[in-house]
Amino acid sequence: MEIFIGLIQESISGIALGSIYALIALGFTLIYKATEVVNFAQGELMMVGAYINFYFVTTFLAQSGEPTIGVFFLAFAGSIIFSFVFGWVLDWVINRPLKDEPIFSVIMATISLSIILRALVAIIAGPMSLIPYSPFGNRVLSLNGIIISALDLSIIFSAIVLVTIFYYFFNKTKWGIAMQATSEDPVAAQLMGIPVKRVYGLVWIFSALVATISGILLAPRMSLLDTSMGFLGLKAFPAAVLGGFGSIAGAIVGGIIMGVIETISMGTLSFHFKWIKEMNDIIVWIVLIAVLMVKPDGLFGEEKVKKV
Amino acid sequence: MKGRYEDENLSWIPLLIIGIFLIPFMLKEITFSYKYYLFVLNMAGIYIILTVGLDLLSGYTGLISLGHSSFLAIGAYTSAILVDQIGVPFILSLVISPLVVGVFGFLIGFPALRITGMYLGLTTMGFGFIVKRLIIALRVWTQGAGGLEVSPPMIFGYTFNSDWDNYFLIFTFAIIAVIVGRRIGKSKIGRAFMAIRDSEQAAEATGVHLAKYKMLAFFISGLFAGFAGALFAHTSHFISTDHFDILLSIYFIIMILVGGVSSIYGAVLGTLFIVLLDFLFVPELKDLIHRVLNIEGGDIQSLLFGLIMFLFIIFQPTGLYGMWIKIKIYWKLFPFNPKKRLI
Amino acid sequence: MKKATGLFILMGLLVMGCGNRASAPGVSEDKILIGNVQDLSGPMKELGAVLPAGSNLYFRYVNENGGVHGRQIEMKVEDHQYNPQKAVAAAKKLIEKDQVFCLYQVIGTSPCEAIRPILAESGTPLVAPATQSGSMSDMSREAADLIFHTDTGYDIQTRILVDNILSDNVNAKIGLIYQDDDYGENVLKGAAVAEANTGIPIQKEAYQRGATDFAGQVANLMKGGATHVIIAGVVKEPIIVMKTAAAMGFGPKFYGTSPTMDHRISLAAGPAGEGFTSANFASLWNSDAESAVLYRDLCTKYEVPKAYMGMYHFYGFITAQVLVEGLKRAGQYPTRERLVNGLETLKDWDGGAYPPITYSQNDHAGTKSVILVQVKEGVQTVITDWVE
Repeated sequence: MEIFIGLIQESISGIALGSIYALIALGFTLIYKATEVVNFAQGELMMVGAYINFYFVTTFLAQSGEPTIGVFFLAFAGSIIFSFVFGWVLDWVINRPLKDEPIFSVIMATISLSIILRALVAIIAGPMSLIPYSPFGNRVLSLNGIIISALDLSIIFSAIVLVTIFYYFFNKTKWGIAMQATSEDPVAAQLMGIPVKRVYGLVWIFSALVATISGILLAPRMSLLDTSMGFLGLKAFPAAVLGGFGSIAGAIVGGIIMGVIETISMGTLSFHFKWIKEMNDIIVWIVLIAVLMVKPDGLFGEEKVKKV
Repeated sequence: MKGRYEDENLSWIPLLIIGIFLIPFMLKEITFSYKYYLFVLNMAGIYIILTVGLDLLSGYTGLISLGHSSFLAIGAYTSAILVDQIGVPFILSLVISPLVVGVFGFLIGFPALRITGMYLGLTTMGFGFIVKRLIIALRVWTQGAGGLEVSPPMIFGYTFNSDWDNYFLIFTFAIIAVIVGRRIGKSKIGRAFMAIRDSEQAAEATGVHLAKYKMLAFFISGLFAGFAGALFAHTSHFISTDHFDILLSIYFIIMILVGGVSSIYGAVLGTLFIVLLDFLFVPELKDLIHRVLNIEGGDIQSLLFGLIMFLFIIFQPTGLYGMWIKIKIYWKLFPFNPKKRLI
Repeated sequence: MKKATGLFILMGLLVMGCGNRASAPGVSEDKILIGNVQDLSGPMKELGAVLPAGSNLYFRYVNENGGVHGRQIEMKVEDHQYNPQKAVAAAKKLIEKDQVFCLYQVIGTSPCEAIRPILAESGTPLVAPATQSGSMSDMSREAADLIFHTDTGYDIQTRILVDNILSDNVNAKIGLIYQDDDYGENVLKGAAVAEANTGIPIQKEAYQRGATDFAGQVANLMKGGATHVIIAGVVKEPIIVMKTAAAMGFGPKFYGTSPTMDHRISLAAGPAGEGFTSANFASLWNSDAESAVLYRDLCTKYEVPKAYMGMYHFYGFITAQVLVEGLKRAGQYPTRERLVNGLETLKDWDGGAYPPITYSQNDHAGTKSVILVQVKEGVQTVITDWVE
């Protein structure tokens, strides 16, 4: 019975972790859905968002002196505005110079972007790790002995909200459908009057927005904030691919599955089966490869028919 | 020297080979720090062997491998264990280790039959993480994360103890690797690879057995990487899992990209460029910046590297080899160069 | 095309430095060049920022007072990102290209172990490697005659910590979180000795160097019912472990090996860090020890930012004192051999913060005792005297 309670506790914690993966995966998926580009810098975008938010919080805190809701809210707003600008700049930097290049080059460009961002933030912020602020303090909710923190609840909540918004956007609104059209065939889309360049720009802004929100939510969950946060972005890849790259519903499902598997393996499974301890950080990749072997396009992926 | 094609002029090759073997002597005359430069060149030589194989896999066949540093790792650890713990002579290990990695190549090639494109890239990336963890877990043989001391290469009683000795050992094999790679690239196998990259359906329609050639591509690139790994382990005297990470895999892909894919010479140029950049050029630039602007820190090195990468991708996507071809064409056509760009 | 050729030529020129051939490498009429390899951009980059700065503080003081036998001390720092292979490349660069006189303060057990062959091949001494692994003074290893260790080893520290735990509570259930590499290996050695001596089993949980998530290990310790936990980490690990434990409602007494000495740990861990006890191989930077007083005076004089001042900054300072003492004893015309001989003449030498240091031809360990420091109400307080 105790094992059962432990599993439930871990599952809930896993859903929170998985929601973060889901949010990052959402960022990947948005860009991929519109431009077929795999954005390797997504984790670093999240890291930048977290740092910017930290900067805003520290600044506003210095002015007001008290960690009030207002401080965090203002910082949040500031970070959102920043992410809009950031996304626009990214589009300008990545898409304009490389618009005729093969996708592979663009992907390599995102890789170099991740290296640049990581180094830039490290230089500007200095070598010391930062201690993140948690807007919810250490508040926890307790149900029948199962503890869930307010922070985790907000993470799950935000993930659901954002995914719903974007799902609705892509499938029910004019702009969203236009974006899907652009990803399938940019030339035809342009012929139909869709402003392709603006679509690309918009999708990068969305992605930066989602990344920033993930960063803001994730930072308090980590005891220390430093530039290696971006590597979590790599871990979210299996989540995105599991659900099927290009599927928004897939992003959240994949994310949550990965989060739960990882947390349970680190907890109960490791305790009872010692050899699993060795595998904790790669369990997500093993699951991914196993799934891909059976369903090469992911759980929800659409089978792409390649043109000859 | 006769090449395969009538107008191919290969007489520069023996000259180049002689030149390569003269470099250590030249360096010794020029500077006291020649040992360090030889060390850097040795690194490049080992990586060249690997990137030749990687080019055949990802450049010619279009199967993206983001986990190639793990192949290097398997080769390195296999050789270290064979020679130091089982007592296999180094020469024999140079045969066995590549085969072991080739088999691993088969293993990863198997999923590659069904998984394509970026999904394959991610699978190979996952494979990289898994291998790294596996090496740590097998700590009875590998000393886990602490790292393994490795004995220097010993052939017929002669021990290669210094960077000077290692240079000749490494570059002999590097030259052989390039020649072999080039031959494969120009052969029926190479053409099949390229056909698969350009269109799997068309390739199949013309009789190219997809599964056979995809597995072959992984196997061959595994052989090259395993060989490089064995050399790496024994000339470095010390290996640890820290080195074989995702960043190194990405470096390898950058090398073939910068050099120009599907032209073995491109892999050579790209590898040389990146290694020289990372070990020599960027640190000098960093010192310069430190003296002028007084900014410090190791992150400057990453930043400079990333920036140069990025600029290269934007401004020179055909890679160094593409640049070289343009130069050749320019000279060939001189003075009748057209105003417009041909490529 | 022209751009490319020009670029290559420029690269070549920039790179071919002219070497200065001196009597001993790194020694010129007015300067001694020391080489240092730190983690400047990897998992432990905070130390890389602070540690060499502490040494430079002392070097500045010495240089302004005439240097050592009239020579100014200059230190060049390379980056290894805590990667032993990069450490090898960095050491080669310093020794073969920059021609440094000796290596100093190279950080990390694995990187130090990895560079032994180069030290042996070039005959370069390594003074005060920034690691407390007992393996550094293991005379049976390669180049051990060239390495001078200043700090008491982890194995000794672990044993002392276990003894202290048992003196606090005879029925303690002890847990240990350790780094899965050479550092951890030395810690485990001490743990094995402690287990053999006391007959009490220790629950061991490993983590990978650079890891930032300890939920698994902490949960396991909780399940194992540990009442006292030793954290053999560096700076980030104890902070995260204690905070994670607090979040899980797990409250054992926490102990740490010497790298966890930094007061920023209790600062960052907040209430979770109260009561944290760690072993330290030297007196505190804010104590009355002679070096500590000098240190604080110099920090005020040279306007060192407050954020820098602390155990690691001080650590750089006091090891610099050892190096300078060695350089002094190497005489007017120092060679590497004279440095080694000079250091080996140190007998019960009191630098002002370390317990008395002794070197001999067969013993390069330096010191063998530690003091225990506990966080009481957010302030580090020394709770024991020098323990062996």
